[in-house]
Amino acid sequence: MIARPDPPLPIVPIGRVVATELKPATPHQFHFWTANETSIGIGAIVRVGEGGRVVYGVVTDGFAYSDLATPLHDVIGAQGDPARAAASPTVRQEIRYWTAAVLRQIPEEPLQPVPLGQVFVANDLDVAQALRMDAYLHSATPTAIPIGLYSSGGLEAPVYLDADFLLGPEAAHLNISGVSGLATKTSAVEFLLAAIFRHFPPHRGKVAAVCFNVKGPDLCFLDQPGELSDEDRRRYELLDVPAAPFERVRYFAPLKADGVNLNTLRTHPDLVEAVAPLTWGLQEVVDFAEVLLNRDDIDAKADAFIDFLRDRVLGRSFDDGFGNEHRVQTFADLDRLFRSIFDGLELSGRGDMWRTHHIATMRKVRNRLSNISTRCKGLVTDDGPASDLPWGTFEDRAVYVIDVANVDPLGQDLVFARSVSKLREHLERRDLGVDAVVVFVDELNKYAPGDGPETYVKKMLLDISERGRYLGLVLFGAEQFRSQVHRRVVGNAGTQVFGRMDMDELATPGYQVLSPATKIKLATLPVGELMVRHPHFTQPIFVRFPKPPVLRGRDGMERFPAAVDLAFDDAVARQLVQLDRGIRPNQVKDLIADRTEEDVRRALAAVRQKRPEDVLAYFRKALGGRVAPDAPRERRAVPPLNPISDEPY
Amino acid sequence: MTWWDALVRAGAVPAAFVPPASMGRPDADDGAVPGADLIEGDALHVHPVAPAASPPASFLDGIEQWKVVGYDGVLPVVRAYVAGAVRRRGPDRRLRTAFEAARDFAVAPLAAMAPERRRALVEHCPDVVEIELGEGGEGAQPGRVLELARRAVDSARGALERELAERCLAGMGEHEWLVVDGLLSVSGKLAGHPRALGVIKSHGAQFFTGADLERALTVPAAHRTSVFRARGGHARNAVYSWYLRLWPWEGNDLLYGLVRIEARADAATVAAATVTSGWLLAERAPLSTPDARWDRLLYPMHDVETYLRSRAPRDLLAHSASRLPRTGT
Repeated sequence: MIARPDPPLPIVPIGRVVATELKPATPHQFHFWTANETSIGIGAIVRVGEGGRVVYGVVTDGFAYSDLATPLHDVIGAQGDPARAAASPTVRQEIRYWTAAVLRQIPEEPLQPVPLGQVFVANDLDVAQALRMDAYLHSATPTAIPIGLYSSGGLEAPVYLDADFLLGPEAAHLNISGVSGLATKTSAVEFLLAAIFRHFPPHRGKVAAVCFNVKGPDLCFLDQPGELSDEDRRRYELLDVPAAPFERVRYFAPLKADGVNLNTLRTHPDLVEAVAPLTWGLQEVVDFAEVLLNRDDIDAKADAFIDFLRDRVLGRSFDDGFGNEHRVQTFADLDRLFRSIFDGLELSGRGDMWRTHHIATMRKVRNRLSNISTRCKGLVTDDGPASDLPWGTFEDRAVYVIDVANVDPLGQDLVFARSVSKLREHLERRDLGVDAVVVFVDELNKYAPGDGPETYVKKMLLDISERGRYLGLVLFGAEQFRSQVHRRVVGNAGTQVFGRMDMDELATPGYQVLSPATKIKLATLPVGELMVRHPHFTQPIFVRFPKPPVLRGRDGMERFPAAVDLAFDDAVARQLVQLDRGIRPNQVKDLIADRTEEDVRRALAAVRQKRPEDVLAYFRKALGGRVAPDAPRERRAVPPLNPISDEPY
Repeated sequence: MTWWDALVRAGAVPAAFVPPASMGRPDADDGAVPGADLIEGDALHVHPVAPAASPPASFLDGIEQWKVVGYDGVLPVVRAYVAGAVRRRGPDRRLRTAFEAARDFAVAPLAAMAPERRRALVEHCPDVVEIELGEGGEGAQPGRVLELARRAVDSARGALERELAERCLAGMGEHEWLVVDGLLSVSGKLAGHPRALGVIKSHGAQFFTGADLERALTVPAAHRTSVFRARGGHARNAVYSWYLRLWPWEGNDLLYGLVRIEARADAATVAAATVTSGWLLAERAPLSTPDARWDRLLYPMHDVETYLRSRAPRDLLAHSASRLPRTGT
């Protein structure tokens, strides 16, 4: 249980509620004035106490005016000289007049207008009450997850989200918007993941995160410590979140087209060990053929043929009807099957139909499928086993980063679709290894736009948004323009977070509920400050979060610059050495000296998948025996049998 | 139960009449035949004044409000409220209240009232000011009683202001000034203080005649007249005085922007009249709008009035609209 703060010390009022017929106090809004010199501002939480009723409110707007009836009077008074206006012996009476939106009333029934009482700055306890955090902060099974510090007038109070409403099952998902380039969105998610890992309630089981790195080195150094100021460390202490990088981070990145170098920016020799290749073969890809083929390609006939391949051919012994037995497990196997069928049809003269499928349909499917391995080379292998995420053995409090930043958009779609589908499958079966998974996807403007074509990725993101919370599959999405993300994706996010926003974006209808002052504050938010909407909070709350304790992508690239691509044999040797430190690179180089790259890649993939104890031996075995090119031996002519006689009979 | 409720229970007829003369405070002079002895120079001259920096200063003003809350027969019984405050201007040029006092009381012709109503009033109201109707009080006219009530309230307000002024003078700094809204001559201590000024905005009495009167009342903006000693009812305590024009009167009214200053009757006052006028001239800004008297009302005085009004009982104010019930629309 999170410790209750000490009872507050008596405080002096900072203002008083005022109401007029034109601007009355209502059950949802009130107005108050303060001294000109006041510590409160937009976003400050205040408490009104009067006659046994306590009302908490958040300041949404502020006004200052004097008793000046018209600006012209100021001009007259100064005789048209602004310098004289400033030199008047007396300063006009001024007012600081604030509008506050009601966060909570105690008692909640009967709901009444805010009493015209004294206004106090909220303390820690007040903030917890005002934001209804007390229910999940001080319960026997707390579900509070800190998201930052509310700060106003020198007071700092932690603000907590309810795990039941952040990670399900009550509500779920988080959406974060903000302009690019301030490192706010990614930083906020990194901090929040650290907070989740520290505070995720034990009774809710295990949790992990899958982060898609879609641009640059953003998420490439989550396991490396970043520089923190003393102020940041103090904030971490207040929020009870360890100021340390993530302990368990595993990286997955497709290979480059050469099939041996990793397609990621995290290739520095000191760090590359934690990066596993992400390569998929035919078996893994064919279920997501519709991701890779556009709708024009997948007509009913092609769809039926792909289904046929999936159900009857892949992974089975299959007779092509021309006397050839096939076992299709790779793209290469599949291509052999197609060639066999086409040759068979041509030689047999049996026309254009094969098992009810027209040859043109088959040619089209062959063309499109083989194109996948070309376009996604490095991710999709022509042959050889797959190297995949550890489905079924996900670790508690681990982060799995899938780096698709440098992958072709088609490949990115495939990675999203398959990863999310596999997560869903395993969570449904409760055999993923964890009970809840946070999926972090940046650039929702690209992957789930409000308009544009219906892509498979968008469907997957919608699916998570709408049904994920029952499974423990939680989407943390980020984008620059919330208004341009699919409404159901942002609408289903129980928690909304806003960093600094663009004024054009704030002018869109989705932000009409915010006061002009709140919009201005949003447009000028400093780095590290956020506006949070959460189901328990009746109004948006501004919080400040510490800089994440991990190395920022840009800093990481300076400290750990990406390695230059290695030559083929060096790259193979390095991968094997990573698996077994005892292997000497020259051993590997000798072994693969005159082998084809395809054979080497296949053997390497087999080793990666198997992870044998004796890596080199297994690699040698997977590589197969060397068939030495013998010198052509002279073929001796076989002498004809001696004729018994000249007689032909 | 309020004293006026008790009065009504004792048989008085309830009332809620706010006479037009009840709001604010009169600045009228006391009507004695005025005259002036010129102190500065041998003839009334006009002297230019340049705005000057204001010294540390406090400002005193008062308000009075009253209304008829009941009738004993035709005799009005008045509830009155008077208040005054001294607001001191700090280095940040903001005014803050240094002294204040208020009095909420009843004004009634006790001797002429029916015994039971008189008893109810005296028993329930701790502060009753009696109006003496004099001979033939039994047949007093309500209008006359109201005028006497006004004077009683005005007198109470004046006494309150004098008390505040004298408290303020007692604790005033070495270079601090006290500016009083109205006559300085009503108090001996005020009239004799070297750094007390009275600013009179109303000019019911004129001290000059002929060419001097014309010169005095047509003094141009940012000019003052020669210093003179005011004679007549004003001279209960001897003070020196001069006219000062704050704003151009041309195109407006003869008395537009015209104030009369009262200060200690001393040669030093004459010597400092131009400098004193200079910093009073600077007090034109900021304008004391939306007060209709902004051309003569210094902003600090306006501020004191605003302060006092904001603290005055709201039920003494006249209703700004009809007291008939509103219709559904």
